[in-house]
Amino acid sequence: MRRRRRPRGWAWVAPALLLLGVFVYLPLLQNLQYSVMKWDIYAGGSSFVGLANYEKLAGDPVFWRALFNNSAYAAVSLLCQVFGALLLAALVEGLRSERWRRALRAIYFVPSAISLTVAGLLFYFVYEPELGILNALLRGVGLDSLTQAWLGQEGTAIWAVIAMSQWQGFGYSTLLFAIAIQRIPQDLFDAASLDGVGPIRRFFQVTVPLTREMTGLMIIVTLSGAFQVFNEVMVMTSGGPNNSSQVLVTWLYRMGFGRNDFGYAAAIATVIFVLTLGIALLQLAITRKRRVEW
Amino acid sequence: MNNVRLRVCAVSAAVLIGLTACGGGTDVEAADLTAEPEYEGTLSILTKFGGEPLSPYFEDLAAEYTSLHPDVDFEIIQETDQSIKDKTKTLVASSALPDIYFSWTGDYADKFIEGGLATDLTSVLAPDSEWGGTFGAASLDAFAKDGKYYAVPLYNNGKFMGYNKAVFDAAGVAVPTTFEELLAACPKLEAQGVEPLAFGNKDGWPGLHFLQQLFAYNVPQDVLEKDFDPATATWDHPGYVKSLEEFQSVVQDCTGTGSDSNGVLYSTAQQAQSSGKAAMYFQEILEFDSVVTDASAIKAEDFGIFALPAPEGAEGDPAALEGSPEGMMVNAKSPRQALAVDFLKFVTSKANAETLAGAPYSQPSTIVGAVSDATASPAVVEGVAELNDASYLLGWLDAVTVPDVADAWLAGGEALVSGSETPEEVLSSVRAASDSAE
Amino acid sequence: MVSRSNVLGVVLRTFVASFLLALAVVVVYPLLWMVLNGFKTNSELFGNPFALPLQFTWDNYAKAWNRGVSSYLMTSVLVTVTSTIATVFISAWAAYGLTRMQIPFSRTVLALILGGLMLAPAVALIPLVKMFQALGLYNTFWALLILYVAFRIPFTTFLIRAYMVDLPLEIDEAAAVDGAGKARAFWSIVLPMCKPILVSSVILNILFTWNEYLFAMVFTSGGDLQTLPIGLTNLMSKHGTEYPVVFAGMTIAAVPVILLFFLTQKYFVKGLADGVGK
Repeated sequence: MRRRRRPRGWAWVAPALLLLGVFVYLPLLQNLQYSVMKWDIYAGGSSFVGLANYEKLAGDPVFWRALFNNSAYAAVSLLCQVFGALLLAALVEGLRSERWRRALRAIYFVPSAISLTVAGLLFYFVYEPELGILNALLRGVGLDSLTQAWLGQEGTAIWAVIAMSQWQGFGYSTLLFAIAIQRIPQDLFDAASLDGVGPIRRFFQVTVPLTREMTGLMIIVTLSGAFQVFNEVMVMTSGGPNNSSQVLVTWLYRMGFGRNDFGYAAAIATVIFVLTLGIALLQLAITRKRRVEW
Repeated sequence: MNNVRLRVCAVSAAVLIGLTACGGGTDVEAADLTAEPEYEGTLSILTKFGGEPLSPYFEDLAAEYTSLHPDVDFEIIQETDQSIKDKTKTLVASSALPDIYFSWTGDYADKFIEGGLATDLTSVLAPDSEWGGTFGAASLDAFAKDGKYYAVPLYNNGKFMGYNKAVFDAAGVAVPTTFEELLAACPKLEAQGVEPLAFGNKDGWPGLHFLQQLFAYNVPQDVLEKDFDPATATWDHPGYVKSLEEFQSVVQDCTGTGSDSNGVLYSTAQQAQSSGKAAMYFQEILEFDSVVTDASAIKAEDFGIFALPAPEGAEGDPAALEGSPEGMMVNAKSPRQALAVDFLKFVTSKANAETLAGAPYSQPSTIVGAVSDATASPAVVEGVAELNDASYLLGWLDAVTVPDVADAWLAGGEALVSGSETPEEVLSSVRAASDSAE
Repeated sequence: MVSRSNVLGVVLRTFVASFLLALAVVVVYPLLWMVLNGFKTNSELFGNPFALPLQFTWDNYAKAWNRGVSSYLMTSVLVTVTSTIATVFISAWAAYGLTRMQIPFSRTVLALILGGLMLAPAVALIPLVKMFQALGLYNTFWALLILYVAFRIPFTTFLIRAYMVDLPLEIDEAAAVDGAGKARAFWSIVLPMCKPILVSSVILNILFTWNEYLFAMVFTSGGDLQTLPIGLTNLMSKHGTEYPVVFAGMTIAAVPVILLFFLTQKYFVKGLADGVGK
């Protein structure tokens, strides 16, 4: 008989568990505690304020603006980095030359390898009203009326940041979809072709259903990422002008480190926690259900 | 000693994960600042001199001090105008505030004083003391609270319109003496093929500088000071709406970028004047020698300054100027307060103050006699003289107000530039922020 | 004879090809513009944004290098190397325990480790600041190292565990028969067999650490501790109008990862496929 459940096994998982426990799970719990406190970093004191921070949250127009911006981020990213990338991957994989396929996949991926900070700074200059290439391009093709300070206008700032984010991220998901498409047995495409199915219907009848799992995963990854956006907004606009491009994490940062309101910042963090956890649990529920169906 | 305590604390905290026990800073006994310090240990300093060409100033002084006192070394954190606020708060929140740290005047300084983080320097820095006597009295007073002196003012700063004399001459425009004349001059300057006024409001505060100077002109001093304190603020003087409207007209009529100015960096605007493409640029004294350099298109003889002219019939003080000294505080929880004071005495010695006043630093030192034709550029000398003549110095809007109100003004200034909100709407959100900050 | 559908096919293919090429231009052009702007003078930059630089001197690159980029680069390399090594070893160690050992409550342990995947680092930010203050680790190299390792363990363990599960148990048992202990079996047999996934994990961790911004921004406060993403924004705010120097700094920061990507493309792609596509 085999010896079972030897406690020595703990030695293998202990380092990982300890690090996660102390630096990931404990702060998560503490965050809940902080979100019901008022905390003055200068004087060092803190006091219990109940749900006051959450009440303030509900009445804070910038918080709602940030939530809207995150949602816009999620919607556009779903469109471009999931559905657009799937279509793009299908187009690339449909090319006959293997060399071209490989080259395009690699080129599209390059922006994902450079950091969001570099991409953000770069696009800060691309959008710059005077020396940026976007306005120069518009002027060059006679669309002078469209030129503007893309990051300096309340109506366009967040959309300009989102657009940069698509530029930076679409190659990553395209590459993943390309891998998923490569896993589809070639016979299925051949069979469809023999049946006289055109490329467009082939995309919907073969590619889409057989990359369903990757699509599901990418939807979750993209959604969750969209509610954690920070880097590019911070670099390009810091949330301005007039808070029009604030997202949840930049607002959290501003409230905590800008205004010393760490309790309020913790309440914003709780909202992010609930949203991202909700998205993750949704994924778990869906995959589990599918597994049962099989 | 302190190190040992820290390590023990770290270890026990890691074990217990309780963490709270070690959180509070230990109160250091009030040090005798007049006594001779022990010349040993590491002095940490947080400066606002992170940019070129300023960054070598403290590094050079620290090296020199170390050569005088070999057992003292330094850890210098250099931040910029843009980054210093957030960084300071992070340091405070983590009880890692350096021994010596930068501060503006106003609410910004009050936070440190009320939080017990600023050492009372009165015993060595009072105006009638040996060291205090070397400073301009107004600069010392700017950091005083309840008769106590909490900060060593390093340099004065003030906001002036820098203008290109050659362009003004070519356009037949004289230095405007009223705000209305300024607006009227802009089309004539534009006819010369230049941007009349370069303005980059990407970071929000350049717009606030216009607003605060206009407030000083349009709103009486006692009303302003009442409104800066949330407990007494009403923000309902008609001079505010008038100022906001005037700000909007100067953005629309004088800047080349107009409602797009929120997308332009202040440094791009600075560059526009430096390269001769803009007739005017509203700037701090500290920027004069960055605009006019050996390599710039605008030459020293063509560069002039004037205070933003006051509107006709304004209700406030037409001789008031926006500006304030900026200085260094000594951390009240530092075990090296006496050493910190000794180093600051070294920094503000006549010779080192003159270095600060001269190129390339060009910071108008607060030490009496340090800024002169011999040490500083003519524009800096003129600016300092105007500051000294001003009837009232009003600090930066985002430093004299509490953070919530400062943020409301930042957002509101941007909204005025882009035209998305009316002056009344901006004021009502400022009032709301002020009420909730009470 | 050319049929109608053939004509349509050719038109369609041409259209698709030009679209894909146009997209490649959209990707490459801004990057090229960045590299070229690093060679311009300020007045050239402010003159015509499309113009090529008039000279190819390395002045701006040298300036950027001397104004902090060299130190940011060193910090980034140091943090990346140490945290990647630590993450991969701790994760592989845990993955071995999860797949090869009988551990009480093993399902809970697995859930706890992989559950970390669902948590957003921003949520823990405020308490972490307070905790590192109490530990005296704020603004130290350790802060970044610990955080990067802790927050990367779930994903890395997930990758390596998935790979180890597929390795036949017989090899371990063979080692056990030889008298080798579990630890030796791990080091000398299982770990070498996991090489492909370890390489992928290393590359994915490098990509993450090199580009991480939120923790680097909050937990370091200057001096020699700042990594490239933070250093670059400093370069921007500290050097006012010298934008060409900023472009040069950006290029210096981007080149190592792009090179890494092209040199290890095979593993890179595989790592991504194993990581997200499993």
